[in-house]
Amino acid sequence: MSGVGGELGTLVAKLLEDEPWVGSLSGIDADPPRRRLQRTTFHRISPEDHNDIVDIVTKFNPHVLVHVGVWEPDARAAPQRAAALTDQAAVSVLGAAAECRALDSIIVRSGIEIYGRGPGSLTRPDEDAPLRPTSEWGRTVADIERTAANVAERIGVTVGAVRLASVLGPHVPSPLGRLLRQPLVPFHATSDPPFAVIEHRDAARAIVAAARHQLSSPVNVVAPGAITCLHAIRRGQRIPLPLFGPQWRFARQLSHITGAPIPDHVSEALTRGRLADNGRMQALLGMTPDTNTTEVIDHLYRWPRVIRKQARVHAAQQIMPDEASA
Amino acid sequence: MSSPDFSSNSPLGRIVNFPTSRAAAVTSENATVFPRVTDEPAGHVDNWGRDAGLFRTVTMLSEIRWSVSTGGDQHLPTRKGALIVVNARRFALAAIYSAFAISRAVDRPVRFVGRPDGGTFGALTQRLGGLLDHPDEVAGALRAGELVVCSASATTRPRDVGVIDHALVGAAIRSNVEVFPAATTSSPFGRRARIEIGEATRRRQLRRGPLAEVELADHVADDITLLLTEMGEMTTATPLDWLPLSGIGGN
Repeated sequence: MSGVGGELGTLVAKLLEDEPWVGSLSGIDADPPRRRLQRTTFHRISPEDHNDIVDIVTKFNPHVLVHVGVWEPDARAAPQRAAALTDQAAVSVLGAAAECRALDSIIVRSGIEIYGRGPGSLTRPDEDAPLRPTSEWGRTVADIERTAANVAERIGVTVGAVRLASVLGPHVPSPLGRLLRQPLVPFHATSDPPFAVIEHRDAARAIVAAARHQLSSPVNVVAPGAITCLHAIRRGQRIPLPLFGPQWRFARQLSHITGAPIPDHVSEALTRGRLADNGRMQALLGMTPDTNTTEVIDHLYRWPRVIRKQARVHAAQQIMPDEASA
Repeated sequence: MSSPDFSSNSPLGRIVNFPTSRAAAVTSENATVFPRVTDEPAGHVDNWGRDAGLFRTVTMLSEIRWSVSTGGDQHLPTRKGALIVVNARRFALAAIYSAFAISRAVDRPVRFVGRPDGGTFGALTQRLGGLLDHPDEVAGALRAGELVVCSASATTRPRDVGVIDHALVGAAIRSNVEVFPAATTSSPFGRRARIEIGEATRRRQLRRGPLAEVELADHVADDITLLLTEMGEMTTATPLDWLPLSGIGGN
């Protein structure tokens, strides 16, 4: 499994550890996992180290490869750096998988940004809708799917793409979540279109279900329902900042300075909307999301800014009386 | 209908499960699916971007312009999707007021086809239940069990039925849902409007190719014409009724 160091990747690894069909699990990422993993063998390798990745993957010789190692623009890295890392990881990991004789199935993380929001694009595209990405992130995930499909076709294995809506959850780095949690949130006053999201736990469950069923087609993973930016702002009791036309461009730059950059796919979602048909989830993955879009947004605003935990032993009690007198 | 539930020990345990309670169960399973429009909370936005609060406000305002009486809504399926094809007079916004009126009659969200793609008006109509005029979009909504209203091409004469887009009818055939003809009459000078929904139009010949949708579109147009004839003339009881091309009568 690639991308095991990210919040979503760690969650997927933890769920995979509990799966009875998983014999052994090996994870690769540039960052260490966010939580303690019991059964996973973790390898800390940069996506640029193609040789190391090929060595590790071919030695492990997996039956199922789960590729979650993608970098959303402005989530953990700037857009250009994120695109480069994602491309390197995809080439290295999927290329290495092609050398494994035991491989049966590839599961890749993708996004509903792949459908694009250009003129004439469907309001709620299903998996058969034409792929016309109109954002950098959309083009990146389209490239991943294309690379995976080419590899799968060449070596004769199945490939499944889990097309996720914007993933939100505690500690999940997300430019959309970061923007909505700002005290002053801009929204497009003349359109304010609806968009859908997915909570990180549901996203992780979907990826694990895809691996379990050896998914061989794309599937949209979207929480039921939708929300507009203004509704989200009201639910979070933030201050709405209505914008008209070209003001949006200035708002993006200002938001970047204040620490919540708005990449083009988030900007597109807030100005053109982003929905997708999740009707095939039950049939293909045998699951539906537990949390709907409105609840995900409510959870987003319920995360505390600072988590205050009581000390197990008070500091004053730790000092011995002799030390205190000295 | 399901069998009576005798499992409970309470005196009120002998309860027959009416279809309404099954609808409530759907609601509890998935909090965002509200089978009834009246159950939707104000801030709710559904899977297609329809905003319940805005929809309620706009339908209330639309009653200033149109006082619509709806007939034949008992023909519509209670849960499944269906395509309703209406005739349209130019500038009458027949699909929109029909969707509002049918939604009020059946207490289910009803979508209408023909929202603009982009812009303020496009966004507004999406939040009122508008869909793009694209067969795949309509097919997606029908597969999801939605009621969808589309109109024939607009005509200047209120008794005429324009051309019905056979691609949209084809979307209904592909989605395996029924197509219902509906006749609408409205006046440019008055508030009174009427919608009469007929029984589902049946395919008279089984075709495997695209001819099926063309023939079904023609049959739907014939059925709408028949419904319009049965509805009679719309009159104002003024000399305007004798004027030809007035949008009211004169046929």
